[in-house]
Amino acid sequence: MSEEILRVENMTKRFPGVIALDRVSFDLRRGEVHALVGENGAGKSTLMKILSGVYQPDEGAIYLKGQPVVFHNPIEAQRAGISIIYQELNLMPHLTVAQNIFIGREPLKKGGSIDDKKMSEDAAAILSQLHVDIDPDVPVYMLPLSKRQMVEIAKALSYQAEVFIMDEPTSSLTESEIEELFKVIHRLRDRGVGIIYISHRLEELKYIADRVTVLRDGRYVSTDEYQSVTIDEIVRKMVGRPLEEKFPPRTSTPTNKKILEVRNITRVGVLHDISFDLYQGEILGIAGLVGAGRTELARAIFGADPKDEGEIFLFGEKVNIFSPTDAIRAGIGYLPEDRKLAGLALEMLLTENITLANTEEVSNSLGIISNKKEKQVAEQYVKELDIRTPSVFQVVKNLSGGNQQKTVLAKWLFRKAKVLIFDEPTRGIDVGAKYAIHKLIDSLAKNGVGIIMISSELPEILGMTDRILVLHEGRLVGILQTKETNQEEILNYATGLTSNASKKTGVTL
Amino acid sequence: MAEAISQAEKVKYMMQKFIPVAALIALFFAFSLVTDKFFTIQNILTIALQTSTLAFMGIGVTYAIITGGIDLSIGSVVALSGVVAGLAVRVGIPVLIGFLLALLAGIACGAVNGVMVTKLHLPPFIATLGMMQIARGIALYVTGARAIAGLPDEFGILGNGALFRTTTTLPNGRVVTQFPGIPYPVIIMIIVAVVFDFVLKHTRLGRFTYAVGSNQEAARLSGLNVNKVKVIAYTISGGLAGLTGIVTMSRIVTAQPNAGVAYELDAIATAVIGGTSLMGGSGTISGTMIGAFIIGVLRNGLNMQGVSYFIQQVIIGLVIIAAVAVDQLRKREA
Repeated sequence: MSEEILRVENMTKRFPGVIALDRVSFDLRRGEVHALVGENGAGKSTLMKILSGVYQPDEGAIYLKGQPVVFHNPIEAQRAGISIIYQELNLMPHLTVAQNIFIGREPLKKGGSIDDKKMSEDAAAILSQLHVDIDPDVPVYMLPLSKRQMVEIAKALSYQAEVFIMDEPTSSLTESEIEELFKVIHRLRDRGVGIIYISHRLEELKYIADRVTVLRDGRYVSTDEYQSVTIDEIVRKMVGRPLEEKFPPRTSTPTNKKILEVRNITRVGVLHDISFDLYQGEILGIAGLVGAGRTELARAIFGADPKDEGEIFLFGEKVNIFSPTDAIRAGIGYLPEDRKLAGLALEMLLTENITLANTEEVSNSLGIISNKKEKQVAEQYVKELDIRTPSVFQVVKNLSGGNQQKTVLAKWLFRKAKVLIFDEPTRGIDVGAKYAIHKLIDSLAKNGVGIIMISSELPEILGMTDRILVLHEGRLVGILQTKETNQEEILNYATGLTSNASKKTGVTL
Repeated sequence: MAEAISQAEKVKYMMQKFIPVAALIALFFAFSLVTDKFFTIQNILTIALQTSTLAFMGIGVTYAIITGGIDLSIGSVVALSGVVAGLAVRVGIPVLIGFLLALLAGIACGAVNGVMVTKLHLPPFIATLGMMQIARGIALYVTGARAIAGLPDEFGILGNGALFRTTTTLPNGRVVTQFPGIPYPVIIMIIVAVVFDFVLKHTRLGRFTYAVGSNQEAARLSGLNVNKVKVIAYTISGGLAGLTGIVTMSRIVTAQPNAGVAYELDAIATAVIGGTSLMGGSGTISGTMIGAFIIGVLRNGLNMQGVSYFIQQVIIGLVIIAAVAVDQLRKREA
């Protein structure tokens, strides 16, 4: 057994309303690739952010080569030899490869000016250690993503990093690029570097992982030699828990009346030929891992992103959707994943946000908004949806997450949307408010609104929906009946291990 | 908890309103103390007259800024539209029609700005910087860089006339002005301010203007035609710059292609002093009016004190910085 390089003990991190990490322990040895797996929200990213100095833990300790260390910021972690390769790379696109690698540490000439020649040579030396062919003098923006990743790795190496953290490094790479990345990872491992490898793609672990640790709901579950576990076992450990969250009883059942038909939606490189139907009274779930294309599908249907192909039928009639305006006119509403970024005008009032998509209703033919009508509308929805606010004239920024979500919902109810797409409807919302929102979703379905619900939380998908579309890398890989499936099966589809929807249309009842 | 936040918000909101108003009142008070002739009807009307053009431009640029943009072409559009009016009247077109053409020229420049921002996806800074050069260049080219003088007296009525001017003739035949009247530009200013304040506060267009500046993506996903809102905002800015051109040239009864240099910066200053955020999403016409009057009163009062124009510039610069610095401090505390 090789020497331990990094150890984390009893790491705990709380955020308002959630415990992101609950006494997690973890260790990394020299010359190993230690895979860290878990569902979305299991705590992987939080742990990584603590290790790289972005977050400070509330409790627990980090030992680097046996010595306790505390990182107040990412620079300290990097100096200590821990480098993180993020999913979104942190390079300055207009600087050259060499300038990026040595940013802030440029070799100087005697007069104090930058020694470009030396910098370039040093960069080339590091890159050649990785056996990658990159010109150190080209600007980074000219490189494909996979090469930029290599630049990040080279930069980390130049810091003499002994611990590498890779967060979903293969998520945007092609197969041959992945192969090259794995070769580089092997080389790093052979040099005695310890690598923490986070990935949703369980199938790729067999090429690189020495050990695998599973996290679930912020807690440590297990650490195993990769050789001694099967993927099935890993998946079971990732899912683990019984359905402990309570969901309101469903009061509607799907009818056979089609509300929405989506046909062959394609956005080159993002969504591939996706077709499905939505029935009245139904709640249709969309499951998939990060990057599977769930949000992209919702946005394509809603007209928020352009689509290259595909048709949408509402109540049997074809609707042409080129923009959100078209979709809204047709009766579709979208509650985005990121309420603050895309759902609400945070600095504006509750009243103004509720009526934003339907100001016609509260204004006269001259376009003058009636404050009285607007107030009435807002009061009605505040009551109906139980939005907790001191006044309807509250600035939305000051409402809690649950009440903000209800505000977005009120906007679409006031617009009388016939199809609502909920994208992560309860993300960042506390348990009580979650229940209330689930209840609202159910009663909407009962009242005949077609509901599509995207969620990363499988219990939510299983607890609320009638059928589940599972996406994997932009493809519809399965349509499952909620009653007949379970988390293991959904994860098997979502990780690309199985597929039942490869038939041409993918439409099943 | 939420109640407390709301109270704090209210206080914050009041402060935001209150500080510029208090500053304006303090200025009035201070100048009244040091100068006898400052606080007279005559002088207050003069201040209002001097402030009117600043207010037109400030109101226009406030719309552009609320959407998250900027309009750097204002000063050049002032010159171009004034030149259009002058040329039109000189070739025999009636003054009223000439003024309308000038207004249209301003509106057209603004609309082009809007189209450049939305359809060509240019940053507003760049689009309007380009328009600044283009409009100025055209104004200079068509006039050969010479002022158009010798315009009929009617050309000057708008800028120099006044409503309710009362005069009496003394027994000795001398004509004495009893009440100088309210200058037409001041009346127009009041109308413009009221109308554009109403539009911003009470109409769908106003609501959309704030929504686009506050969160463009949320506005788009709520079905708003973001491009249309922006084009309208720039058109308003251009149109009011056109109006400024008409009033300015009418006052001197001359169309001056060199007029209006750097006026856009004064306009932006009025908006910013009045609490409009350059980040977009917030700002009011009442704030901009107060901003305009702060600058107007400062200039007038300092002039009466015989303070050099250059020092005035320094002082106005300090006011702009102080206004925004106070705003920033307040935000950080919150």
